[in-house]
Amino acid sequence: MEKNILKFKLNGEDMELLVTPDETLLDVLRDKLNLTGTKKGCGKGECGACTVIINGNAMNSCIIPAMKAMNKEVQTIEGIGTAGKLHPIQETFIEEGAIQCGFCTPGMIMSSKALLDKNLSPTREEVKEAISGNICRCTGYVKIEQAVLSAANRMKGKNQVGEGE
Amino acid sequence: MNKTYSVVGKNILKLDSIEKATGTATFTCDMKLPNMLCGRVLRSPYPHARIISIDTSKAEALPGVKAVATYKNTSRVLFNTSATATFTIPPLVPVVDQYIFDSVVRYVGDEVAAVAAISKKIADEALKLIEVEYEILEPVYDPLEAMKESAPILHHSTESKNVPGEKIHMEMGDIEKGFAEADRIFEHTFKVPVQKQAQLETQGAVAKIGVDGSITVWCTTQTPHPTKRILGTIFNIPYSKVRVLNPPYIGGGFGVRIGLSAKAEPIAVALALLAKQPVKVVYDRKEDFIASDTRHGGYVTVKTGVKNDGTFTARKLEGILNGGAYCSWSTEAPGVLGAMGLSLYYCPNQMYDGHSVYTNTTPAGAMRGFGNPQAMFAIDSQMDIIAEELGLDPLEIRRKNIMRPGKPWVLPYPCLSSGLEECMDKGAAAIDWGRRGKLNTGDSKKRRGIGMGIGTHVSNAWPFCGDYSNAYVTVQQDGSIHLATGIPDMGTGSTTALKQMVAEILGVDFDKVKIAYADTESTPFEIGSHASRTCYASGTAVVAAANEAREKVLDFAAKTLNTPKEDLDIQDNIIFSQPNPKISIGLDETALKAHDQGHQFIGVGSIIPQNAPPYLAQFAEVEVDIETGKVKVIKLVGANDVGKAINPLVVEGQLEGGLAMGIGYALMEEMKYDSKGKQLNTSFEKYVLPTSMDITELQTIIVEANDPSGPFGAKGVGETGLVATAPAIANAVYDAIGIRFFEIPLTEERVFKEIKKSGIK
Repeated sequence: MEKNILKFKLNGEDMELLVTPDETLLDVLRDKLNLTGTKKGCGKGECGACTVIINGNAMNSCIIPAMKAMNKEVQTIEGIGTAGKLHPIQETFIEEGAIQCGFCTPGMIMSSKALLDKNLSPTREEVKEAISGNICRCTGYVKIEQAVLSAANRMKGKNQVGEGE
Repeated sequence: MNKTYSVVGKNILKLDSIEKATGTATFTCDMKLPNMLCGRVLRSPYPHARIISIDTSKAEALPGVKAVATYKNTSRVLFNTSATATFTIPPLVPVVDQYIFDSVVRYVGDEVAAVAAISKKIADEALKLIEVEYEILEPVYDPLEAMKESAPILHHSTESKNVPGEKIHMEMGDIEKGFAEADRIFEHTFKVPVQKQAQLETQGAVAKIGVDGSITVWCTTQTPHPTKRILGTIFNIPYSKVRVLNPPYIGGGFGVRIGLSAKAEPIAVALALLAKQPVKVVYDRKEDFIASDTRHGGYVTVKTGVKNDGTFTARKLEGILNGGAYCSWSTEAPGVLGAMGLSLYYCPNQMYDGHSVYTNTTPAGAMRGFGNPQAMFAIDSQMDIIAEELGLDPLEIRRKNIMRPGKPWVLPYPCLSSGLEECMDKGAAAIDWGRRGKLNTGDSKKRRGIGMGIGTHVSNAWPFCGDYSNAYVTVQQDGSIHLATGIPDMGTGSTTALKQMVAEILGVDFDKVKIAYADTESTPFEIGSHASRTCYASGTAVVAAANEAREKVLDFAAKTLNTPKEDLDIQDNIIFSQPNPKISIGLDETALKAHDQGHQFIGVGSIIPQNAPPYLAQFAEVEVDIETGKVKVIKLVGANDVGKAINPLVVEGQLEGGLAMGIGYALMEEMKYDSKGKQLNTSFEKYVLPTSMDITELQTIIVEANDPSGPFGAKGVGETGLVATAPAIANAVYDAIGIRFFEIPLTEERVFKEIKKSGIK
């Protein structure tokens, strides 16, 4: 099959690789780049486990042809924080008990981040809507919603400190 | 009164959550090995057929294909995909009714063949090249139909036509006398749906064959040790040469992989043996829906004799469950249905008869609650019918009849603790029970109602099947602790909770305990995670191991300090004399001294657990839209007697998750079939489960009636969350619109039809 050069920015880094037209962005992330943090729960855009942020919007990477990421900025769970330097959303997910089996967690965090990057004072309803495409079978969503609200407060606090400096 | 502990009872953060939050946690589907092939499965398009011929030559000839497996070139050892066959209690005989592949297919999705190829694309291409000729056989889908003389036989059964294993019978007292003493007798039959676990990670396995013929399988099982035995038996390999492990995370379970992960493990191993290369088999979501165990649907009949004051005199319960095409857990689920159904309330005269029936549908197996939600929908719906007929408050008629410690029941272990009444009272207060029946004034199109349901469950699998646990603890030369236990961690916080127990007993910081788990090579035999057993049963073994290590430490320290052992305690990593704390020595120093003398402190815990009843009371407030039939849960309260919450945050998480799954069972979720036996709900779009938009307010209340048989008083908690959700919601719907439902889920369609029939406006 014919291959094309895909150029995009992944977690802040310029990437260039060959992909076939039938490869999804998820295939490229997981199989070619070994970024297995992004999960495949259904392959049909129905569960949200594969959520990544593309140019600021949460998207299901399992139904996006890889070439659609051309010249775009893609963020995955690996790009937002690490064990020693967690993103506030990761911190609150851990602290509030919002993580059980963990399979939905990366997608859930990316959907939450896409929301909070635009709106640091969401209502619970807005949080629910932002994660409504992400299925979690373990938690009942309550602790996840609480974690997102707590993260918003924490991020707001940080921003205010930042503004004051 | 609760003792104060330094680690137990604290919200220690789950360590796995850091890896999971950063995307570095590894699951079976993330595994990659050098030279690894992709395995894909060909599945039956027919519900019942015989394979007349199967030609794999074209598939084998496709470049990139390394192996094609069918019934002709794979093991002919019969097995049961569930772990049950590995601990069936004699004289009962395990039901083994499956091959990896067979010449007869018994449901749409049944395995016909599998291919290993260098890519998924080539494997899928090869599947299309396998030519199969089928002779169509007559199918049967309903358990009641399948018992009839005219129905086709699915498997040879010793007990009764199409009944896997034994029929279950339990009784206590004199049922006839009990009904004769009753003022009123009520009898109702309820129909319960097939629910799917819908865990987020699909079934999967990666198999690798060693040069010495040993096999290593990374997989999604909830029970590595029993799975090791199943695989060793299927492939006739010494168990010592089979290694089963999680890598180490599992994307949920809810019972769907107690034993094998559907057939992912044996298919991966069979292909790896043929191809002589590692093989990875990961089911896609549709395969997971159609070809991996479901909850049992079926029929539950309750007949209850009561005095006019509401006191029970007799109860007869019957459960007939749809077992699907293969046995899996179909001999045990009806047992739990009956035992829990009879034991929630005290009734001097009671009887249960129940069994499963083979049909040409997806096999039913274990799912969170395991027969119990089916029983409780029937029993606690009828409870409200009886209360209304007798003019009693549903809360009070329950209070009058609930099981209490000291009273007899059908179970072979005693009821030693119950916080049920406290759960009922606290739950009633949280929902403001007094508002019940008074919520609707005027002619709003949205009607509100309040309802309740109560329940109990188990804390391990005995007496329904065998149960035991082993664990060992070693004190390292620096005083840190290594714990080895064969449990998995499905995200339920088990590994965190068990480490808390060890840290508490050995008086060390939580961070000084490291746990080896989910790997048969580094841990002694342990059944694994099912039956709400990990905290209680595995915890009992871990506590025994830690206590034995502690005794050895104290023996040694007593000599070192020249102090009576009875005076010694360990806190904050220091061994000290309680009467005179100045007499002390560090655990690190003690361990190093012992090491210098050629000795390590090793504690072994080998236990057969008793059992203990967790209790729960659930209260629902709902809103029913009488123009659409939509039922919305406004608030759901779950008050749970967990014995002792080892980690309250984790316990809350278990309970909230259970409540959400219970809402799905009550209102939305059902696997349906078309007239040709084809599953209709094969994706998340077609099988609707609760999203964040469906869950409003969940309130959990923890009650701690310490059970003397449990570690630190703990009882099971993993399943109780959804045991009584369906009756609580159905009773609330009745309070809202006055319509009694004998079948769930209460979908908009079902509710709307009944509203139209009843003429409510």
